[in-house]
Amino acid sequence: MFDIASILFAGATGLLVIGIGGMVLSEHLYRMLLALAIAEAGANLMLVLAGFKWSASAPIITVSVESIPAMVDPVPQAMVLTAIVIGVGVQALALTMIIRIRNAYGTLNMREVKLKMEQEFADMADLPIETRSVPARNDQS
Amino acid sequence: MKELIVLTFAVPLLMAFLLPTISRVSFTLSKLIAPLVLLALAIMVVCIWNFHTETFVLHIGNFIGPQGIVFYVDRLALLFAFAIFAMTLLMWPWYFEKDESSDTRTRKLSLTLLLVAASAGMSLSGDIFNLYVFYELLAVASYGLIAAGNKKPAGNSYAAAFRYLMISALGSVFALLGIALIYFQTGTLNLAHLSEMKELLNNPAGLIAFVFILLGFGVKAELFPVNSWVPEAYMASSKRVAGLLAGLVSKLAVLVIIKALVLIYPQDEARQLLLFLGIAGVIVGEFSAMKAQDMTRMLSWSSIAQLGLVFIAFSIPGKAGMLAGLAVALHHLISKPAMFLIAERWGGSLQNLKGRAQSSPIMAALLILFALSMVGIPPLPGFWVKFLLLSGLSAQQAWLAIAVVLIMTVVETNYLYRVISSLYSRDEQQSVTSRHRTADTFSALILAGVLIFVSVQVQTVGQALDEIAQDAVDVKSYIDLSLGGGS
Repeated sequence: MFDIASILFAGATGLLVIGIGGMVLSEHLYRMLLALAIAEAGANLMLVLAGFKWSASAPIITVSVESIPAMVDPVPQAMVLTAIVIGVGVQALALTMIIRIRNAYGTLNMREVKLKMEQEFADMADLPIETRSVPARNDQS
Repeated sequence: MKELIVLTFAVPLLMAFLLPTISRVSFTLSKLIAPLVLLALAIMVVCIWNFHTETFVLHIGNFIGPQGIVFYVDRLALLFAFAIFAMTLLMWPWYFEKDESSDTRTRKLSLTLLLVAASAGMSLSGDIFNLYVFYELLAVASYGLIAAGNKKPAGNSYAAAFRYLMISALGSVFALLGIALIYFQTGTLNLAHLSEMKELLNNPAGLIAFVFILLGFGVKAELFPVNSWVPEAYMASSKRVAGLLAGLVSKLAVLVIIKALVLIYPQDEARQLLLFLGIAGVIVGEFSAMKAQDMTRMLSWSSIAQLGLVFIAFSIPGKAGMLAGLAVALHHLISKPAMFLIAERWGGSLQNLKGRAQSSPIMAALLILFALSMVGIPPLPGFWVKFLLLSGLSAQQAWLAIAVVLIMTVVETNYLYRVISSLYSRDEQQSVTSRHRTADTFSALILAGVLIFVSVQVQTVGQALDEIAQDAVDVKSYIDLSLGGGS
C-alpha cells in the first residue's frame, strides 16, 4: 500500500525526468518549451511537498490564537507561487522568441536553426562556414 | 544612512519601468536621466562605504531573525554594488542605430536598468530564495539584451537568446530543486540560519542540493558543463552587452555560489567538485579560444577559461582561497569588458586584423596592456592575481591544478600573441578600417587606468582586498549579525 506522499514525490520526480529529458532530447523548439513547462511543474510540486504536512490544516487562523491546530508551512507555497509566476513569464518570452525565429528562419528544428545561426555568424565575421569536421586552419603569422 | 542601501536596487527597478513613460514625453530626457541615476547611486555606495566601516544587516520591515527578508551589507557586497554601477555606466548603450525607433532604444535602456537592479539585489541578498528571484530577473533582462542583437535584432540573435534561455531555464529548474531539497532538510532558506544548521546538510542529499545549486547558478557563471551558450550569445549581442555579461553578471553568479560554499558547505567534497569543474572549464576554454578564428569567439572562450580560474581559486579553503578568488574575479571584471570594447570594431575574422594597429594605435596598445595582464606579466595586476592563485594552490599541494594553470597560461599567451602580432604586421592590401567610437575608446581607457592604478598601488589594494576577504570568510559574525538584533 503506497501512501499519497510517496506517490506525489514519485510524480514530481517523474515530471522532472520527463521534462529534463524532453529538453535535452527534442529537436523541435516548441517541444523543448513544453518540456521546460513540465520540468518546472515537477520542481514546483517538489517544493510544495518539501513543506507539506498531511495531518495539518491550511495556514489560516480561523479560531482563537490559543488553540491553533498544526498548520502547513506556508513559506514553500508562497515561494512556489513566485516560481510559477516567473516560469510563466519566461515561457511567454520564449514563445515570442520562437515566433521571431520562425519568421526569420522559417523553421523550428533546432539543428537547422543552429546551422543558420552559425552561417550568419560566419557571414558577420567574414569567415568560411564553420563545420565541426573541418580542422582549424593553421596559417598563422 | 543604512536604509539607503535599499535604493541600490529599488531605484533602478523603478526607473526601468518609468523609462517608457518618460520617453513618451521626451526621449532625450530618458536617455539622460538613466545614467545620472546610476551615477548618483554609485556615489551613494561610496558614501555608505565611507560612513559605515563595519558590516551591517538590514531587516526589511523589521522582521528580525530568519523569517524576514535580510540584506547583508559587508565590504564585499558594497564593492560589488559599486562595481555594478561603475561598470554599467562604462558599458552603457550610448549608441543607437539610425533606423531604430525611440521605443526600441528605450527598451534597451530599460533592460539595462533591470539588469542593474537585479545585480544589485543579488550582491546584497542574504536569503537563497531572494537570490533566486533576483537571478531570474537578471536572466530575463539578459535574454532581452541578447535578443536585441548586435546592430539590430536578427534571426541569429533570437536563436542565440532562445538557446541561452533554454539552458538558463533548465538551470533555474535545477536551482529550484536544490532549494527544495535544502528546505526539505532544514526548513529555512536564510543563509545565516542555514549556516547554523549546516550539519543537517552534511549528507548525500545535502551535497546533491549543492550540485543542483551549482549547476543552476553556474549557467550565468559560465561554469563548465553549462556554458555552451556563451560564444553564441556574445557573437549575437552587441559587444557592450557581451562585456557586461562576461564581466559583471558572471561574477554575481559566482558570488552566490561562493556564499553557499563558505556559509553552508565547508565540506571537502564541495570544494573538490568546484576544483574539478574549474579545471575542466580552463582546459576547454583555453583550447577552444586557441582554435577560434574570430575575435569575439576567442574572447568568449577565454572568458570561460578565466571563470574556470575563478572557480579553481575559490576551491582553496579559508581566507587564502577567498583572497585569490576575489583577485582573479575582479581582475577579470576589469579586463574582459575592456577587451570586448576593443573587439567592437575588430569583431571579424582574425585574418582581417592585419595591420589594424596603424589605423587605431591607442586601441592596439590597450589590447597589449590587457593581454599582458591576462597572461600575468610582473608589474601588472594579472601577475599578482596568478601569484596569489598559485601560492594558494601550492599551500594545498594541488599540483594538478597548478600544472593546469601554468600550461594553460602558455596556451593563452599563444593565442593572444597571435592576435597582437597580426595587428602589427604589415599588410599591403589595407582593408576598410572603421574607427573605434569615442565612447568605446574612453571606457577602455578608464579601465586601463584602473589596471595601471592597481599595479602602482598594489600594496594598498592588496591590503584592502585582504581585509574584505577576511570579513567574507567570517561565518560567525555573519550568523550573529543576520540573526541578532541587527546592529
